[in-house]
Amino acid sequence: MNYYIRRVVSAIFTLFVIATLTFFMMRAIPGGPFTRERSLPAEIEAALQAQYNLDAPLLEQYAEYMIDLVQFDLGPSFSLKGFTVNQIIAAGFPITALIGFIAVILIVLIGIPIGIISALKQNKPIDYAVMIFATLGVTIPSFIIATLFLYFFGVKLAWVPLLFNEDNFVTYIGPVLALTGYSVSFVARLTRSSMLEVLQQDYIRTARANGISEFKVLSKHALKNALIPVVTYIGPMVAAIMTGSFVVENVFAIPGIGKRFVEGVTNRDYTLIVGVTVFYAAFYIIMVLIVDILYSFIDPRIKLGKRRAD
Amino acid sequence: MDKQIFTILGTDEKISSEQIRPGLTYWKDAWRRLKKNKLAMVGLVVIVLVTLFAIIGPWLTPYSYSDQVVGFSNIPPRFELIDADGTYFYFNGSQYDLYSSTKDGRLLEKLDESSRDIVNQKFYFDLDGETVTLDYSYKLRPELADEGIDYSISFRGVEYKEPMGTVGNKLFPWGSDEFGRDVLTRVMYGARISLLIALIAALVNLFIGVIYGSLSGLYGGTVDNIMMRILDVIDSIPLLLYVILIMVLLDDNSMFTVILTLGLVYWVRMARLVRGQVLGLKNQEFVLAARSLGVSQNKIILKHLIPNALGPIIVSITMMIPSAIFTEAFLSFIGLGASAPQSSWGTLANAAVAVFRSSFYQLVFPASAIAVTILAFNFFGDGLRSALDPKLRKG
Amino acid sequence: MKILEVKNLHTSFFTHMGEVQAVRGISFDVEKNDILGIVGESGSGKSVTSLSIMGLVDQPGKITEGSILFDGRELVNLSHHELSEIRGNDISMIFQDPMTSLNPVFRVGNQIKEILKTHTNMTKEEMNERAIELLKLVNIPEPETRIRQYPHQFSGGMRQRAMIAMAISCNPKLLIADEPTTALDVTIQAQIIDLLKSLKDKQDLSIIIITHDLGVIAEICNKVIVMYGGLVMEQGTVLDIFDRPEHPYTKGLHQSVPKNVTGEKKRLIPIDGTPPDLLEPPTGCPFYPRCKHAMEVCRQKQPPLYEITKGHLAACWLHDQSAPEVEGYTKVKGEYNE
Repeated sequence: MNYYIRRVVSAIFTLFVIATLTFFMMRAIPGGPFTRERSLPAEIEAALQAQYNLDAPLLEQYAEYMIDLVQFDLGPSFSLKGFTVNQIIAAGFPITALIGFIAVILIVLIGIPIGIISALKQNKPIDYAVMIFATLGVTIPSFIIATLFLYFFGVKLAWVPLLFNEDNFVTYIGPVLALTGYSVSFVARLTRSSMLEVLQQDYIRTARANGISEFKVLSKHALKNALIPVVTYIGPMVAAIMTGSFVVENVFAIPGIGKRFVEGVTNRDYTLIVGVTVFYAAFYIIMVLIVDILYSFIDPRIKLGKRRAD
Repeated sequence: MDKQIFTILGTDEKISSEQIRPGLTYWKDAWRRLKKNKLAMVGLVVIVLVTLFAIIGPWLTPYSYSDQVVGFSNIPPRFELIDADGTYFYFNGSQYDLYSSTKDGRLLEKLDESSRDIVNQKFYFDLDGETVTLDYSYKLRPELADEGIDYSISFRGVEYKEPMGTVGNKLFPWGSDEFGRDVLTRVMYGARISLLIALIAALVNLFIGVIYGSLSGLYGGTVDNIMMRILDVIDSIPLLLYVILIMVLLDDNSMFTVILTLGLVYWVRMARLVRGQVLGLKNQEFVLAARSLGVSQNKIILKHLIPNALGPIIVSITMMIPSAIFTEAFLSFIGLGASAPQSSWGTLANAAVAVFRSSFYQLVFPASAIAVTILAFNFFGDGLRSALDPKLRKG
Repeated sequence: MKILEVKNLHTSFFTHMGEVQAVRGISFDVEKNDILGIVGESGSGKSVTSLSIMGLVDQPGKITEGSILFDGRELVNLSHHELSEIRGNDISMIFQDPMTSLNPVFRVGNQIKEILKTHTNMTKEEMNERAIELLKLVNIPEPETRIRQYPHQFSGGMRQRAMIAMAISCNPKLLIADEPTTALDVTIQAQIIDLLKSLKDKQDLSIIIITHDLGVIAEICNKVIVMYGGLVMEQGTVLDIFDRPEHPYTKGLHQSVPKNVTGEKKRLIPIDGTPPDLLEPPTGCPFYPRCKHAMEVCRQKQPPLYEITKGHLAACWLHDQSAPEVEGYTKVKGEYNE
């Protein structure tokens, strides 16, 4: 119980720090929206004024900002006039989440089994093949995969329509491919090396010595231990997918948060940029929290802490 | 049995069957193992080649990264020539430009368009007073689809339909971009920028990371605790978000800013690593052993701690470089990277995306450069990691 | 009655550097209720011998020659499936490092019950009871609580005892203990040894115990095999080996180990030299380079096992009639033949 409470408190604290950090970054970094060096068009200045109450003392602004934040009010967008950041995020979230979700499922369902097979057939041809593909997947950036895919399958072969269509299943292939390329390869490699390491362990030998069937040794004794580092990776994986979505949505013209974010960057829509950053950061922290809780179920050593001596 | 063989030998007469393998120092042993790793060696070779490409390349090309050859834009690295009985023509379908060329692909001049016949889908060009007719109805009229060609060129009364073949672009080996700039040259300069950014960013990360980590590890106790908690907080969000945020807020697309941002953010991993090394080594038995033999504190640090800690640090730097290249390319891709004139590979790739449907080669070269370089560093780094792993030592 | 008969066992590892011959021709028997000690240094082949018996020699190793009869049944070349039925059931093994030999993510009780599930038809309740019973048998206090705990909550000595509990759970006939006390404190060592002794009686066990610690051998074994360089140097009863050793290596071992001899101050005499390279094993006696009585014949040919007295064998040319008289070495007539 102690463990869980600690983790939740830690998460909240981190969120708080990030929100604060972001706020002060906006003010501290030269060239940011609030510095006097910047001359903004009148209406943006007015929106900023409304949102951040620029004339008030710093702390008061900070307090207002935090209060707004806690109420999930991220302010008005600069570039898309008339819309709030909340609305923009809410509009884009479903599709981004959907594609991200599909990506995660695929990564787990493909990456882990491949890693296991590769470990079991170490140094045989299939292992080499998998390792080569996995290395390529990890090193070739997602935007290259994305554009290559569109070029070959969209332009040259014309198998895939060039514009994303929510209802057309085929248009999901490219984005998902580009989004998962890195992570599925990473998971495969991680599972493989983890499995290999676990299989060297003494307790595997003990299980075999006690007559446990080879199948059980692998699927029960080895697997549970081997998956521990993989579960730990889920956090970074979510991060990779999040940031990957910026590029992928841009290249494939998918109307998700990522695309809006990149547009926001181009247009210097500060509230949008900050809002999405804080939103994504919060999302990430919650994901990591969930993973940590999940992790405690798999590895009992974590929550029980130090062992009690005889 | 022959009784003689039963006489007891003294120890001097025995031939010792002991095998003494020559001992190797840590570095020599690591290098030996690294050499055996073919993939890592290939990676190393590629890294060297790319570095040479970046350093020497720009001296060897006739262009600078910003030289524009007016009128010669978006020409691919290979194109078809039509042989009009000794005069060679190249037609750039994506731009509707016509050029005269030598037989081996050296473009001579861009022909001026004298008039158009839109109804019959013909363009008329002027070559030294003579008319060259470009008929592109073959592409547009469905009834002419059987001919299998997109256009034909008529010169001095003869219509030529079949291209003689594909030749390499002698002016621009890797093609030209939309401003008539040589892609090869731009990729070479891009190499300089990308590699430089990556290297310096890695060094900045190294610097900050080593200082932070060593201090944390050496002091230990509460100081260490606090410093690590700070790291935990920094680590708990995807740093890329912050890179983006900082770049946007600084709003300055210079190389310096990019390097600074990259350096500010990724040192966390290095700091953790260094701290771990320092902590581990502080307590190592051989430090105790050295101390008990009366070796001074400084000597301990220099002779024992540092060489052992260096291994993972070196690997970490090697792996930071492809990471930095990737991040920089990523930033460029969303419009935040170093912008012209300091175009990195990422910037080139980003610009190329806009035209990739018609001029795909403009994307291929910088993108491949990125991929190949990252791949090479990864292979080399992996090999380095295995080679420097003391657990794998056999010597 | 012979529980185990090992005849001329050869086990090698086929590495990319060549064939490493870990076991080069070993034969011995284990009678019912024997506690056989196999003693030797690292690299002598003792662990590989035990792994060979269990069929646990991993790639790239394999048994290249010889036979292993357990209760009359040939174990070499049994299928994986058949071996699984025997392991943990008829023959069990415990290993050196208890810290790493238990799966950290499963509860101790479950790990015991899993073995019961594999080899018996007990119900859940029966298995639960049996698990508690087993922990009691190995002197772990509060077994009801303990079975729900994870290995990292046990101390080193307790983990070793848990491993023993797992090993005897299905009432095996033979228990192989590979360096069971090496990784433990001296006081805990004594407890484990006592436990093994008492289990031998309670469970009607035969035990093979592998160690480099002569003290353990003296404490618990009735028969001993001394191994070196993949071969048997000397074998006999524990009295034979300790009171009247007949092999230079065995004698050397006694001299190099501090013994509890009151009053007398004796020098520790280490054995000079290093163990042989098993990639290119010597053609003669493996102990040749380190033996102070070495003869030319020792370099050329492996000595056969000479029968000093019934059951007491030593592989040394000094026992041959043609050899010179050396104090402490009995000459025998002829060779010992299988």
